[in-house]
Amino acid sequence: MRRVKLEPIVQRILDTSEDEITCSECFDAISPYVELEMQGTKVSDEMARVRHHLGQCRVCREEYETLRDLVRSERETKTKAVNRANRRH
Amino acid sequence: MKKRTTEEWLQQLQAKGAEQEPALADLRAHLLHAALYALNRYRSETRGRSFDDISALAEDCAQNALVAVLAHLNDFRHDSEFTTWAYKFAVNTALVVQRRQQWKDVSLDRLVAEADLENVLLDAAPQHDPDRLATYRELWLTIRSVIEHDLTERQRFVMIAIVFQSVPLDVISERLGVDRNAIYKLLHDARRKLKQSLVQRGFAPSEIMADFSRD
Repeated sequence: MRRVKLEPIVQRILDTSEDEITCSECFDAISPYVELEMQGTKVSDEMARVRHHLGQCRVCREEYETLRDLVRSERETKTKAVNRANRRH
Repeated sequence: MKKRTTEEWLQQLQAKGAEQEPALADLRAHLLHAALYALNRYRSETRGRSFDDISALAEDCAQNALVAVLAHLNDFRHDSEFTTWAYKFAVNTALVVQRRQQWKDVSLDRLVAEADLENVLLDAAPQHDPDRLATYRELWLTIRSVIEHDLTERQRFVMIAIVFQSVPLDVISERLGVDRNAIYKLLHDARRKLKQSLVQRGFAPSEIMADFSRD
């Protein structure tokens, strides 16, 4: 017998908007979205639609999370390198 | 690798010959790093692929991403760092390839046919609260009825494959020979019908979610 978790399915259904952006539109906006999220900046209406799409589309969400973590990791590495260099002087 | 501003990246990548080559080489190195990061992040899903295999795959992805970045340079809107924008091509390429390889031996027709939505155990249903259990069951029966009777064949296929069998949307896109956006639209239309039906049958969204959060 198949086990079905009803809550996430119902959540996705109820979160449906009449007008949702496509995967291509999400891809086009994802790099500024990543940077705004990392800055903690309040998102615009357009970016709210990106967030909504990421809530509905697992593949876009995986790509977003990977991009975000890659950029964050790179910036943290650069910050540590700068701090180390500053401590030496 | 040389550090460049966004303007330097664009100017050098759009140049020709000796001025372009170092920027191309550095960009490729960045994209390779991004592709490797993406493939290693989901390494457990690549079924024991060796380090050499992943490296070779990342090289291919980086090359394809480089072509894509160069083809879309005029689309860059200066609304992020150039490298963040470029990385997304490598991440997308790597994860699309990784998902396709993960699912290449899986028959989607068989998966969808095996979904068997008639014989379902509702996980985390409140077994000791008859009223809430009845609501859960009615919710499920409504959803199942819409899936079986109100969706088109393609909407049903996509709904079952993605939501119940966790098939990635771009794997379906490739198998059906249809653009990823078209698959997303099919699923969106299916969700809209489901939402409409739930509301028409008297299920209030806020009450449903409040009920779930009681668990």
